[in-house]
Amino acid sequence: MRAEPVPYADRPDEWLVERCCESGDDAAFAEIVRRYREPVFRLAVSILGQPFAPEAEDVAQDVMLRVHHAMRSFRGEARFGSWIYRIAFNQALNVKARARYRAPHVSDQALAATPSEDRDPLDQLQDERRHQAVLACVGELPEVYQSALRLYYWLGASMSEIALMLDAPENTVKSYLHRARRLLHAQLTERGIDAR
Amino acid sequence: MHDDDAMDRFLRAAMAADAPQLSPAFDARVMRRVRPRRLTPAGRVVIALYVVVAAAATVWLMRDLPTGSILAAAVIGVPIAAGAGAYGRRLAAGRRAD
Repeated sequence: MRAEPVPYADRPDEWLVERCCESGDDAAFAEIVRRYREPVFRLAVSILGQPFAPEAEDVAQDVMLRVHHAMRSFRGEARFGSWIYRIAFNQALNVKARARYRAPHVSDQALAATPSEDRDPLDQLQDERRHQAVLACVGELPEVYQSALRLYYWLGASMSEIALMLDAPENTVKSYLHRARRLLHAQLTERGIDAR
Repeated sequence: MHDDDAMDRFLRAAMAADAPQLSPAFDARVMRRVRPRRLTPAGRVVIALYVVVAAAATVWLMRDLPTGSILAAAVIGVPIAAGAGAYGRRLAAGRRAD
C-alpha cells in the first residue's frame, strides 16, 4: 500500500526551500508565500506605521520576490523565517527612509479607537489629544522599540511572534517593551501629559 | 511598576484601531511576478512560422545586394532588434507587476 503524500502545508520550511531551488516548484513557493505573507506584512506595518500601511503591502511583495530570487543563497545557518524577517526589516527601513518625506495616506490619529457617543465630548477630546501625543512620541523612539510596540499593542502579536519577527529572545522583547514604555512615560511627562 | 502598568493601559487605548489587512489578491500578484511567462503551443507555432517567413523574405529581398551592404544591415539591425526586444520584455514585466 502506498503512503499518502504529505501536503505542502505540513512540510517544514527547509523542504519547501529545497523543492524551490532544485525543481523550481511553484506550489512550494506558493506555500512559503501563504505561510509568511501575514507576518512579513505585519512586521512591515509595524516599522512604517499606520500612515504608510499601503506601502507595507508593497514591502511584503518586494520581500517575497527577493526571497524567490535569493533562495539559492539561503545556507540554512539561521532559521528560514529569521532570514525572511531580516530581509523584511531592512526593506521596510529603506522604504521608511524614503516615505518620511512624503505625505502620509492617513493620519496617525486613525490608530486611536473610534470615539464613543456615550462619553462626554470634552473627555473624548482630551483622550484624543493624549493619544495623539503618545503616537507622536512613539515615532521618536528607536526603530526596534517602535516596531515592538506596534506589533504588541496595535497588531496584537504575542511575545513569541514578536521575538521571531525581530530575531530576538522573548526576554529581550519584554525588555524592549518595558524600556519603550519608560521612555514614552518620560517623554509624555516632559510634555505635561498625564499617561494614566 | 505602577507607571509601567499605567503606560500599558494607556498604550492599549491609544493603539486600539483595527489592524490593516493584506489585499486578497496578494498571493496571485506575487505568483504572477515569479512565474516565467511561457508561450502556448499555438503561440510557439506562430513565432516559428514568422521566423521562417521573415528569413525567406529577407533572403529574397537581399538577393541582389552586395555582401558589404548585407553585413552593414546586420550590424545595424541586430542590435536595434535586440534592444527593442529587451525594452518590450521590460514593459511586459512592468505590466505584470501592476
